[in-house]
Amino acid sequence: MPAYPGVRRLLGAVLFLLAALAPARATPADDAAAVRIGVLAFLGTEAAIGEWSPVLRRLQAALPGHTVSLVQLDHRGLRDAAAAGEIDFLITNPGHYVELEAELGASRILTLDPGPPRAPERSIGSAVIVKAGNGALRTLADLRGRRVAVVSTEGFGGFQTIWRELAAQGIDPQRDFAELKVVGLPMTGVFEAVARGEADAGIVRSCLLESRAEWRTAFTVLGARSEPDFPCATSTRLYPDWPLATLRHTPPALAKEVTLALLAMSAARDGMEWAVPADYQAVHEMFRELQIGPYAYLREPTLMVLAERYWRWIAAFALLLAAWILYTVRVEHLVHARTAELRAALAAREALELRIRANQEQADHLARLSVLGELSGTLAHELNQPLATIANYAHSLIRRSDNGRLTDDAVREASGEIAGQADRAAGILGRIRGFAKKRAAVRERVAPGALVVEAVALFRGMLANAPEVSVDDTLPADAIVEVDPLQIQQVLLNLLKNGYDAARGLPPERQRLTVRIDEGKGDSAGHARIAVRDHGSGLDATARERLFEPFFTTKADGLGLGLSICRTIAEAHRGRLTVDEDAGGEPGCEFILSLPLAPSASEPPECRSDHAADR
Amino acid sequence: MLPTDEAVIHVVDDDAAFRRSLVFLLESVGWRVASHASAEDFLATQANSPDAPGCLVLDIRMPTMSGLELQERLRAGGALPPIVFITGHGDVELAVQAMKHGAFDFLQKPFKDQALLDAVATAVRRGAEDRSRHAQRDEAKARLARLSPRELEVARLVAQGLPNKLVARELDISEKTVHVHRQHVMDKAEVGSAAELARLMLRADPAALD
Repeated sequence: MPAYPGVRRLLGAVLFLLAALAPARATPADDAAAVRIGVLAFLGTEAAIGEWSPVLRRLQAALPGHTVSLVQLDHRGLRDAAAAGEIDFLITNPGHYVELEAELGASRILTLDPGPPRAPERSIGSAVIVKAGNGALRTLADLRGRRVAVVSTEGFGGFQTIWRELAAQGIDPQRDFAELKVVGLPMTGVFEAVARGEADAGIVRSCLLESRAEWRTAFTVLGARSEPDFPCATSTRLYPDWPLATLRHTPPALAKEVTLALLAMSAARDGMEWAVPADYQAVHEMFRELQIGPYAYLREPTLMVLAERYWRWIAAFALLLAAWILYTVRVEHLVHARTAELRAALAAREALELRIRANQEQADHLARLSVLGELSGTLAHELNQPLATIANYAHSLIRRSDNGRLTDDAVREASGEIAGQADRAAGILGRIRGFAKKRAAVRERVAPGALVVEAVALFRGMLANAPEVSVDDTLPADAIVEVDPLQIQQVLLNLLKNGYDAARGLPPERQRLTVRIDEGKGDSAGHARIAVRDHGSGLDATARERLFEPFFTTKADGLGLGLSICRTIAEAHRGRLTVDEDAGGEPGCEFILSLPLAPSASEPPECRSDHAADR
Repeated sequence: MLPTDEAVIHVVDDDAAFRRSLVFLLESVGWRVASHASAEDFLATQANSPDAPGCLVLDIRMPTMSGLELQERLRAGGALPPIVFITGHGDVELAVQAMKHGAFDFLQKPFKDQALLDAVATAVRRGAEDRSRHAQRDEAKARLARLSPRELEVARLVAQGLPNKLVARELDISEKTVHVHRQHVMDKAEVGSAAELARLMLRADPAALD
């Protein structure tokens, strides 16, 4: 975070302009002999120009065919010039070099040799200075919450090296200091700021303190390390000195010439000496620990950094996600609700169907009752007349016998009337019986199997929990009966219903019904036999005897008319309705409806007088 | 009451056989019986001999004119004889209605022969009593009808037991005039005393002396 980016950039631009105005300056494109060396002008104009002039002089001497120039740039300017190919060599601090090595492929060929006792690979460190006698500050850890003066936050020796040591103590200089005071160049400003009390501590390059006697007494170094062969107090580890590096486009031959020329420099003669390139691994380690420079990626991709950088996208995504979740939840909820509604509706309909079926059964029952009621009302009224008449005559005869008025005429009249009324009563009963035969005129040719299938379907449709009904039809396919299908179905329904009632409340396997259809033998030869078998509780002997009597019933709610009417119908069809005497040892009973088989359509109708005589 | 010569039992029933059995039964104990196949038939014969004593044995249900309608017709005509209704199965409501309209009794078929004979005998007796009560009333009314309005006024006061002097004061006439009117009343009404006159007037109208 440059404290004065504008100033720095302006400075860089001015330096570049000065360099460009130099008389020997030529563009790299049209002068292959030009050798441009970019130097980091970090220490300020007055120091930089002077500092690197030995190099310029040496190279100009060593490379007579070339025009050697120094281009002084700040961090950014140096990087841009290197990237654009405007310089052939660069001299910069170790940290910046490592960055450019990673980014632009800069490759060191020499390292500045500070001269004994310092070695090139251990020549740079930083010192944290505090006023001498400041007892509150003894170690680096004590810097937490203090005001600290620095030249800038970009410098290698002036900031990054001490940053590494502070980070090892868990201190983030950007965060944990009360104030990070950037005083700018020159570095002496740091001493002044600490001396004036504007800062509790200051960060300076190692050995700067030792360069002035008054500083040595006024300030002490915080967290000074013991580094062998290093003459100055340092608060940090030591790093290699500044390198001179080539770039990718630097001609190797030129690089070799420059290397040889500069290696030949000696401190005694030139005031500057270069050594073979040092190991910059220590700088790499520092960067890696701090996660800056080429290792900035280690710091950046943290969740917090991502969150800060992409918060709008994350927020939008979260919003979408929330909307989607909301939508999903709502859809799920609706599906649940609708499913529940549907289930409830289905249940309601099922209950309704059950009730309708129950009501239907009830209604059928009531209908039969009311028909019977009407029938019995009519029966009673009609029979009343002849019975009352007969009674009157009979009683009158007794009276007349008692009081001597009994004449032959009276006896004849009364007896005649009584006989007549008896006939009348018989006539009424005959009419009622005829009522049941009213529909007997309908005759259709149907297959017994078809009648049974239809009756079973009707039966199963009538009941909510209809039992299993198996049909076994062994009649030839062309077997036909001539019947009123409605009446026969009524009989079959009655038999199925009886079977169902007989096994009600028993386990399911005993509720099953069997309908067997075959051709009769012996007595019932020439008849189709439809046998309805149940596996219910069966009948006792008394019940079997009275089974077909009207008004006889074994059911609590029965009328006792079913089988009697069924037998009437069967007989009206010249057939028979019987109950099997021997149930085959199994529980339950079997009712057999036998109907005469009709001659096939081609045969002439047979004489039926013999059957009529049976009844 | 034992069957009498003059009493006639009218049997009205559309069922011929049953009607004949009723006739046969009633004749068994000596009643004179008239048989009618319908209510209309009965009304036709009744026109010829309106005031014969006896009773009606009437079927409550008949095709053209029901027993109830006939009863209503007779009541409207002022000559309601005692009626024994014969009802069929479940006709109790009709029977109740008939009783409310003055029927004497009802029998539900089938009934015991004795029940019918008892009902008929009682009905005939009740009819006879009604008839004699009606006859006495009519005769009393006829005798009183001979009196002039003034004589009727005098008669009412006399029957209440007032002496001539008080009657004269009441009517604001002379005692002599009262005496004359009183003589005429006794003659015309064929009574011999004030007490006899009072009984005659009460026979004609039970509320006459209130």
